[in-house]
Amino acid sequence: MTLTAERTHRPAAGHRGGGRGGGWQRRETLMLMLPALVPVLVFSVGPLLYGIFLAFTDARSGRNAVTSFVGLSNFGDLLADGDFWASFRIGLVWAVSVTVLQFLASLGLALLLNENLRFRSFARVLALVPWAMPPVVIGLMWRLVYHPNAGILNSVLQDAGLLDHNVDWLNDFSLALPAVIVVGIWTGMPQTTVVLLAGLQNVPKELHEAGHMDGASTFRRFWSITLPQLRPVIVTITSLDFVWNINQFGLVYVLTQGGPGGQTRLPMLFAYEEAFRYGFFGYAATLGVAFVIVVLALLSIYIGRQMREAN
Amino acid sequence: MRTRTALAVAAAAIVALTAGCSSGGGGAGGDKADGPVSLKFLSLAWQKESIAANKQIVDEWNKANPNIKVEYVQGSWDNVNDQLVTSFEAGDPPDVIHDDSPALAGFASRGYLLDLTGKLPAELTGDIPKPAWDTVTFGDGKGGQGVYGVPFLQESQVLIGNKKLLDAAKVRIPTPDNPWTWDEFAEISKKLTKEGSFGVAWPLKSPVNKVLNLALNFGGTFFQVDGTKATVKVGPEEQEVMRRIHDQLYKDKSADPSALGMGTADPLPGFYAGKYALLPAGVYLRQQVVEQAPKDFEWITVPPLKGTSAEQGATSQTLSVAADSKYPDQAAKFISFFLNSANQAKLAKGDWLLPTSVKAASDPSMTTTENGWDVATASAKNLVVAPYLKVNGFDEWKSKVATPTLQQYFADKITLDQAAKTLVEEGNKVLERYNN
Repeated sequence: MTLTAERTHRPAAGHRGGGRGGGWQRRETLMLMLPALVPVLVFSVGPLLYGIFLAFTDARSGRNAVTSFVGLSNFGDLLADGDFWASFRIGLVWAVSVTVLQFLASLGLALLLNENLRFRSFARVLALVPWAMPPVVIGLMWRLVYHPNAGILNSVLQDAGLLDHNVDWLNDFSLALPAVIVVGIWTGMPQTTVVLLAGLQNVPKELHEAGHMDGASTFRRFWSITLPQLRPVIVTITSLDFVWNINQFGLVYVLTQGGPGGQTRLPMLFAYEEAFRYGFFGYAATLGVAFVIVVLALLSIYIGRQMREAN
Repeated sequence: MRTRTALAVAAAAIVALTAGCSSGGGGAGGDKADGPVSLKFLSLAWQKESIAANKQIVDEWNKANPNIKVEYVQGSWDNVNDQLVTSFEAGDPPDVIHDDSPALAGFASRGYLLDLTGKLPAELTGDIPKPAWDTVTFGDGKGGQGVYGVPFLQESQVLIGNKKLLDAAKVRIPTPDNPWTWDEFAEISKKLTKEGSFGVAWPLKSPVNKVLNLALNFGGTFFQVDGTKATVKVGPEEQEVMRRIHDQLYKDKSADPSALGMGTADPLPGFYAGKYALLPAGVYLRQQVVEQAPKDFEWITVPPLKGTSAEQGATSQTLSVAADSKYPDQAAKFISFFLNSANQAKLAKGDWLLPTSVKAASDPSMTTTENGWDVATASAKNLVVAPYLKVNGFDEWKSKVATPTLQQYFADKITLDQAAKTLVEEGNKVLERYNN
């Protein structure tokens, strides 16, 4: 949505720079932009502002609930809420491990698909399959995979002699989060792979040839040529993945609903429960706003440092 | 482009206006019973027989009442409460809502549901005993009390027993008038435990309701309610059942620890295979035993255990009317028909639960010895309203505090004292939000 907003703004700025007879032309431009702006304002900016407004109130569900302005007290409660911090920690573990592992796995896959293999185009299509599935379907599918009695994972591991009893992956206190992270990695791999593959195809062949001539090993060429060339792509895709992952909801909601005992309660699930299960709309909105701030802060540190290093 | 936008805006305005008009008109029409109206009925029936029974009763109603058409809408227990909050807030809830009493408490105090006092015929109100009505009577959030649903199906906790193993161990087979005490149950479970098989399996994946309902056997209420303020209490009475289950697992070793993480129905395959002789379960589980058990498998329904009393906490499945319904009187009329004693017997049979209707409970199909119906129906006399029903914020206490704490206690990761302390201290923190 932000992208669309920027794109629609840019022509306006251009016209303003265009100078002469500006007033009439500007109005005309505004009129032309209106159809594109209205949905953005109504469906994106509006709810966002409303959400920010709610964060400063004690809005609760109920026909006889009275909403009043409470200033920053929701934020105070949030900072003192142990459940929020637990959820925040789980969210960070989830987002960082999914993003990093997903990146490594995708890089491997992209390098492989970039080689001149037989059936390459077929393999490339196959790699895209998870992308075509909605998160809910993925969640249902993996729930079957992890099923304690009928799941394929338990039966494969037992046939291979690695397990001697059925494991209830999604209900075990210590296994649930890792199990969900694996699904997260699997789900996000296609996007990351495709972007990295596109990046790889833009690395000039001459550089590799030159490196080869100078006697650089394969690993050396990868480390000193491919990686630096890929850097902007890597920064972009990992930041996007991170934002995507930390805001993940549907997948985990279907897989575990935040269980067992809150071990997979990602921040967005926490906010959802606060709002729709317990009815504290104001507090849930505060959580959302706090999260926007956290994500923006983390991203600006990360991207800022990458930019500085690149320069 | 400009004209098109203008047109679109105009169209949207017209749609909004007509929508406003029709709802206004509907509100006025609600008072007259003669105009044809249509009601949405959100049903949560999920077993095949039960869905069939629900649909059949709706069809009968629609044939007899062409002016009040009822549309059957299928819902699911998994997400019904989220779905209802959203539709209540949006102002377009189903007219007749199937749910259970724990959910009603919260909805009632938020003003989402209609107080049914005075809207139901005496025939129905007289047919359902007072303890059942207690499970649907809640504060309205403004200091008053109201009846926010009609209770119709209840569940009691019984034990399902492997008859061959019980006979082989020569244990006394209890009757509803002379049930096992918890001490006797512990002895018998030890007796039934042999190499490779256990006396009992406690599936405690969702331990809270089970433990709280059974705790009443020793007078354990878990909450003290003072006016609208509730606090958690875990004293000796509350700890009794927790400790006894824990003892079976780790002291007597008569309960299979690997069943702990299971849901209620998960131990069934092991039960058929003779791995456990007794399985604590809600009465509805008999249906799965009847359908899935191997042909030569013999089983009995063991009546509820007795501590200082045989009382168990009960919740009910309910039908309610949304406060925003445009046709509350018609909806109440439909509920009265839907839950008359003949229909309750059908629904109870379909769901393998206990009807609240006294007349339905005396129906021959509810008292036959076949499939343990006599024992199940007799257990209804032990049901009293579960104290936690009157506690605002119970749901949050349950999911944030009680479930993880009880799971850890039964997994022997924390002691009973630690568990009690967490339940009270963390619990009161949660309840504080609701107590003002």
